[in-house]
Amino acid sequence: MPTLKPSQPPIPQVIPAGELRHLTPEEIKPSSNNPRHLFDADQLLELKKNIGEHGVLVPITVFQAKGQSKFSILDGERRYRCVVELTREGHKAKDGAELKLPANVVEPPTKIAGLLYMFSIHNFREAWELMPTALSLKIVMEELGERDNKALSKLTGLSDPQIERCKKLLAFPERFQQLSLDPNPTTRIPSNFWIEALPVIDLALETVPTIKKLGRDRATDKLVEKYRERKIKSVIHFRRIMESYDLSEDEPATRAKVVRRIEEFFLNPKMETRDAFDEFVVEKKRVQSALSACEGFISQLQRFKLKYTTDDEERKNLRKALREVREYCKSLEQALTGGDDPDVPHN
Amino acid sequence: MIHSIKFSLRFHDYKPQPLSLLSASRWIRQFEKKDRKIARQLLDKVIYISESRRRDILVEQNAALMKRLLAANVPPKKLIYVSVHDAGSSSPVMLNLLRDAAGLERLGCKFVDARDSLRLNKTMNEVGVGALIYVDDFIGTGNQFCAERDFAAKSFVGTFSEFLLAPSICEEAFYQISERGIEAFTGHVHSKAERPLHANSSFFAREDKERLELVCKGVNSKFGLGYQKLATMVVLYRNAPNTVPAVLRGSLNQKPFAGIFPRWKDLPVRKIG
Repeated sequence: MPTLKPSQPPIPQVIPAGELRHLTPEEIKPSSNNPRHLFDADQLLELKKNIGEHGVLVPITVFQAKGQSKFSILDGERRYRCVVELTREGHKAKDGAELKLPANVVEPPTKIAGLLYMFSIHNFREAWELMPTALSLKIVMEELGERDNKALSKLTGLSDPQIERCKKLLAFPERFQQLSLDPNPTTRIPSNFWIEALPVIDLALETVPTIKKLGRDRATDKLVEKYRERKIKSVIHFRRIMESYDLSEDEPATRAKVVRRIEEFFLNPKMETRDAFDEFVVEKKRVQSALSACEGFISQLQRFKLKYTTDDEERKNLRKALREVREYCKSLEQALTGGDDPDVPHN
Repeated sequence: MIHSIKFSLRFHDYKPQPLSLLSASRWIRQFEKKDRKIARQLLDKVIYISESRRRDILVEQNAALMKRLLAANVPPKKLIYVSVHDAGSSSPVMLNLLRDAAGLERLGCKFVDARDSLRLNKTMNEVGVGALIYVDDFIGTGNQFCAERDFAAKSFVGTFSEFLLAPSICEEAFYQISERGIEAFTGHVHSKAERPLHANSSFFAREDKERLELVCKGVNSKFGLGYQKLATMVVLYRNAPNTVPAVLRGSLNQKPFAGIFPRWKDLPVRKIG
């Protein structure tokens, strides 16, 4: 069994029950975390065609939960789906019998093994389903005593930024987390709301005495209320507040004005984000300059014709510099990702 | 008159509007004379689930399920009972009824509302391996149940088998429920053939069926045969499902057509003061 560190207990994995069976689709239960909408239709069609011609060649992996008559899929959801569709279309096996899937039966997975499997499914999911992922990650962190992003990334397959985002969600009290688990999409607070709001709340608590007095939870409530009142039309608009603050760094008068505006923004439920902060942001010009800087940087490097540099020391220094550029660009690129949830209605 | 006595005795404890001899005969009289016979035949086909019957079915099915789970080494303390709809709707009521009637709390079973994903996640994490048992009183199309369950499933953790306990389930719902690997324990599977006004039923002669369909449409132009034209005939003492034909429910506020099994929301609201 693989381990993360020598001191750590082995990561639980599925244990084969040593049985190969041939199961009809009716005897099989798809994964509870059914990611049906995430399978690429073209790939599925190709696989279906293949299975239609040759049958299922690679066995799927299933287990039987205690007391359940059906077998649950651990691996092979796509093959299962193809057979279900083929059966529905009246397709038969070569001998004219009902289509069956070869299945390796394993012991029911432990909680952690099941969770890690679920993560492999979640890797295909859109970011808007982040809250359930965060809850699962919390269990993994608690059960395995692991907090390091790299180790968690290796375990779950989630990327470093995804783990960071989950951790941000988990930093909020449960009553706020619950708001992102509301079954009704019209009243649900999107997970991205918390991620984008967190730096703003931190900033307000740090710089505005009245907000500090209000406390973190009540300040958060104010933003929730504002979001429900549609005064935060997109969660991305929280970035304008951070941007306004950052840009006023060298201008004390503007900085003081931004801080006052942040206070007003929190306390006045009617104040809309863009109305409040647009005046401090001259976004287009900066972004245009950044875009030209990117183009200029690449074309300049190309002009230097560095590919065949021979000097060892120079190559070493150049590679180090490029790595630093890459790291910065990567972190900037990741910071720019994020957006509104696709199923939450907005103005 | 004999029919009215029979119906009033049979359905006397329908909660939203208890049926009396007078209201039974009033309902019949709303139909044209030539239609009264088929209206009575339709009413005769109602599958009425009384309070005691509903409790007995639930307790019996639950006992059978618990026995099976115990044999599979799943003790009661590993069972999580889940209500699937809004507070005040049938599912939480059923869950409370079952909890008390079967003494589930004392056995160590857990109870969660499917909409409380956080609590469900925590409880599943605590139990680790066990069974989720959804409880409801009637499943029509299965759409609402499956939508609630699918949303909750995003927060599932651990290895759990899934079951549904309900006194009555329509055959339409079985496919959807089974597709998710949920096993239904029910006292009654409501087939299409049991529903005289369903497109697949041949209980009535064609002209009689068409006649009643027309009356239903007159009562409710959009949902004459009930939600998604299910035309179900199961009526629970606590409320009728929204899938029953409109002649049984009546018009909104019971005017112009008074139903025999109005839902709570079909009845006029009493004025305050």
